[in-house]
Amino acid sequence: MIEVENLSKRFGKTQAVAGLSFRVEPGTITGFLGPNGAGKSTTLRSVLGLVHPDSGSAVVLGVPYRGLDRPLHQVGAVLEASEVHPGRTGLNHLRVLATAAGLPRSRADEVLALVELTAGGRRRVKGYSLGMRQRLGLAAAMLGDPEVLVLDEPANGLDPAGIRWLRDLLRALAAEGRTILVSSHVLAEVAQTVDRVVIIHRGRLIQQASIAEVLAGAQGATRVRTPDPARLRELLAAEGVEVNDAEGVLLVDLPPEQVGEVAAQHGVVLHELTVERATLEEVFLELTGGETTE
Amino acid sequence: MIDLVRAELLKARTTRGWYVYLGLIVLLVGLGVSGDVGTAEDFVRSTVEFQRGLVEGAGFALLLGLILAITIVTTEFRHGTITPTLLTTPRREIVVVAKAIAAVIVSIGFALLAFLTLAVVGSIWLAAVGADNQLADPDVLGAAAKLLLAAPIWALVGVAVGILVQSQVAALVGTLIWIFLAETIIVAVLELLDVGGLADYLPFQALDAADGTNPDLLPYWTAVGVSLAWALVLGAAGTERLRRRDIT
Repeated sequence: MIEVENLSKRFGKTQAVAGLSFRVEPGTITGFLGPNGAGKSTTLRSVLGLVHPDSGSAVVLGVPYRGLDRPLHQVGAVLEASEVHPGRTGLNHLRVLATAAGLPRSRADEVLALVELTAGGRRRVKGYSLGMRQRLGLAAAMLGDPEVLVLDEPANGLDPAGIRWLRDLLRALAAEGRTILVSSHVLAEVAQTVDRVVIIHRGRLIQQASIAEVLAGAQGATRVRTPDPARLRELLAAEGVEVNDAEGVLLVDLPPEQVGEVAAQHGVVLHELTVERATLEEVFLELTGGETTE
Repeated sequence: MIDLVRAELLKARTTRGWYVYLGLIVLLVGLGVSGDVGTAEDFVRSTVEFQRGLVEGAGFALLLGLILAITIVTTEFRHGTITPTLLTTPRREIVVVAKAIAAVIVSIGFALLAFLTLAVVGSIWLAAVGADNQLADPDVLGAAAKLLLAAPIWALVGVAVGILVQSQVAALVGTLIWIFLAETIIVAVLELLDVGGLADYLPFQALDAADGTNPDLLPYWTAVGVSLAWALVLGAAGTERLRRRDIT
């Protein structure tokens, strides 16, 4: 659906994207993740034919974006929310795009209803909140009822209710068989929505996998509760195992089976023995070096 | 292509600036005609010569057409709407052509609105002062026809400048400075160097001759050709600049 192959792009002294390759499979929602400045927007704009890569290629539906017959019918994109003339009404903005794409003007009203912006459609865009602009951008992307959607930080400016609404909309669109690539620098925004993730940092691919694979790769510690933490700690330390103490709970860097064996051999009573899963957010921070800005 | 031109015309009509342009044409042409007729001597008013001058005064609409043509292009960069425009039409040269056609249509509309205002206000004034109405004289209509033909040429130069400069403020301010200051200076310098003939080939000297209002410059059809050549050269350079540009 979307294939990025060895893509590189430099702006002046900044290497925005460096030899990036990844694929977005048909019918999936893929999260495109990385800290601010990781090269997400540059990559997406290369996919959409707006930025010329220095080397490498980006194709969508098997061809470069510029080679698409009817781009708006094939690929819908939401980039920055500010790319609308402030003096034009939201409805007229959509009518202009519909006209250019050879769509009936009534389609503008339909997509406004889809993003629940009908009431604001006749107002000038300069009076819109950031959330309304995001909805308008989504409406524009849906004009041609495309099978592929590319969304750059669509959750920016949305309140929690808006983020929930976006999540439900994306799920509904994916359920119709569409392919969606959605970028974010906040994993939590998309974690519950996406099937797969592509994580990049400093213009390079860090990981491309399903959400489940990413979580599985993050082996957590074993959480142990015992009435005699000092003794268990001593026993484990004697075997050279790392133990952290957190409010009466031991976090042991050893699988639960082995912790249980040690406890049984020495007659230590256990009240709890569970695997502590790392959250996606922790994995994300670990993979990207904990940096959120550059 | 028809869809794209319709979209460009819709873009132009859906901002408030559009009504400012229309209002300015009616207001300024109306005032200009009123002033000319009101201040002219009685024996002058009835002459074909004078009334042809009224028509040439409406040539002001050409400058507005040029300014609108510039903004048809540069507003896309100013407000970032170039992104949705290019997502809809990824082949950038086609966007430029659609804008050029739209600008031509609008410029002809502006000129027609100016002539309509002139005909209505002029006829009322001429009747009011008891002068003969010669506005339908072939000589007057001929001057109007040349202006009408020049309007799209001015618009094409506007689109070319817009696509080459891309920054709205730089394009508008630069063009006005070029027309009213820079070119005058270049003309003076060329005359000092004894090659004053070359000055006639400067873009706005050529455009001035191409609207038939300035007989001291290039012959009419030469001026039309030179003006179109300027539009083509500047437009081609601008289109190439757009094609290479990263839209970030």
